Amino acid sequence: MFKFVSNIMRNLVNETVDKAIERLARDQYTENLFEMMPVSKKVNPINLVEIMMRSRHGQPPGRPLGSHMRFSPWNELLFNPVHLYRFPTPEDVNISTSVTIGKRAKNPLTISIPIMIAGMSYGGALSKNAKIALAKAATRLGTATNTGEAGLMEEEREAAQLLIGQYNRGGWLNTPDKYTQVDAIEIQLGQGAQGSTPQRTPAKNIGKEYHEVFNIPEGEDAVIHSRLPGVDTKEQFIKLVRKLKDETDVPVGLKIAATHHLERELEIALQAEVDFITVDGAEGGTHAAAPILEDDLGLPTMFAVSRASQFLHQKQAQQDISLLATGGLVTPGDYLKALALGADAVYIGTTAVMALVGDQMTKAMPFEPPTDLVVYQAKMTDKLDVDRGATNVANYLNASVREMELVCYSLGKTSLSDINTEDLTALDPFLARALDVEFAYVSPQQQTSFFNQFAQLPGMAGNQRGQQEVPYASEEDRTEPDTPPPYQ
Amino acid sequence: MKQDFSLNDTLSYIHSELNRIETIAGTLATTETKHYKELTDIGDDRLNQVANEEQTAARQLGEVKQICMSLSQKVESLQKQVQDQNNDHA
Repeated sequence: MFKFVSNIMRNLVNETVDKAIERLARDQYTENLFEMMPVSKKVNPINLVEIMMRSRHGQPPGRPLGSHMRFSPWNELLFNPVHLYRFPTPEDVNISTSVTIGKRAKNPLTISIPIMIAGMSYGGALSKNAKIALAKAATRLGTATNTGEAGLMEEEREAAQLLIGQYNRGGWLNTPDKYTQVDAIEIQLGQGAQGSTPQRTPAKNIGKEYHEVFNIPEGEDAVIHSRLPGVDTKEQFIKLVRKLKDETDVPVGLKIAATHHLERELEIALQAEVDFITVDGAEGGTHAAAPILEDDLGLPTMFAVSRASQFLHQKQAQQDISLLATGGLVTPGDYLKALALGADAVYIGTTAVMALVGDQMTKAMPFEPPTDLVVYQAKMTDKLDVDRGATNVANYLNASVREMELVCYSLGKTSLSDINTEDLTALDPFLARALDVEFAYVSPQQQTSFFNQFAQLPGMAGNQRGQQEVPYASEEDRTEPDTPPPYQ
Repeated sequence: MKQDFSLNDTLSYIHSELNRIETIAGTLATTETKHYKELTDIGDDRLNQVANEEQTAARQLGEVKQICMSLSQKVESLQKQVQDQNNDHA
């Protein structure tokens, strides 16, 4: 019987494929279904479907989880193992993984591992169960999770041993009764996936608990403004930081979307005496954003971390101000490279959500996307097993840190925080110069002479004009008359 | 027990106890790491999960060590301040 059915199926498939190939060969190219192949290669399948979405709805599509582009060339960096020049770390030595954030604060934040859960808001992005699962996982590993742009959810506060609260542009955590309950305050002025663009959750998508956590009257939209309410000048920002530091003992930091204006932004953060700075690179994820914001706005995480770190060193502020990196960091290798470039710790968002869903994705697949299990008010939100999700994330974090420790042994270091740019080599000469990492193609002794050769080539006249690097100028020192002030 | 501890004596006591906690945390972290290795050698899924938790515990003990170290530094700086004040009074 099976053989009979199998033969019929084979004949059917054979006939269909033959006819299809005949048509592909016969029809004119302009009337040929095959035209979709070069078209989809030209505009790529993601853009093709997003064109369809725009043309169907007349509004920007809200693409989940950030850009699909990998702007930061993490794979162009490699770590340098040691054997005799410096000896590897003996295997019976425990690698130190803990980090203290905001050393200058009265109550600094010490975490066991240099990976934290990124700000993903309840309601605006994730369900209550997903937030609790992430908080439980973070607690198991002795690290922190982040409220995202939301109010203070009691259940998350209870589940999280260490909770970073975002003082946000929606204003939902911006009252002392809320921000005095968190272990660090992160003033959120932007995010990698959306810059400082305003966002809105329509009233129809806001449930009862959401109203309570956010303290939004029924029927009102939840609005994230482009500016932080009450902060329209840099003086007001400085005043806000000082106020939060006076009212609380915890570290007060600033989170921004990484930008080419980075150093100018950080100059003001330094004036405000923040305890930590979070740079969210262009690869950063989000619940949903217009593709143009995700693909065409910001500065890649790798350059943001390196530039911020170099800036803090130049200002001799690296001991006092912690640097947190986030945005499209996907593998333990990415995390460790970000630390080597100068970050004290990293935040992970998309990866944490993927780990949270883990093998539970079978509940949603193949008819719904796996994120339906974790998104606020999605079709399968109530199907998430919180404890299983928490174990998945805890396992993921444990495995990731173990991988980072393994590299640490081979570098001959005893602490993840000891790894620096000298432990890296770059496969690209421009990258090497920009990141202050040695270029892999030539020996350490030949680095200077190798790069000097290029200065003599036609068109590489930088040195001939006697150009010199200008140390980071303060806002007052800059002379460009057409540069607008950072706050207007 | 002596009740009239001077501030300097109290700080010395806290400092030595912090050192002790630091040592204990280090020893326990080593033990947890040993347990992790032994448990993963068995190759059972459930024991592997317990091993993961041992590994995490070892790291958190490492964190305790670091906290003790920074608290010790703060105590040392307080001791120095007290000593300076005493010298000034003398």
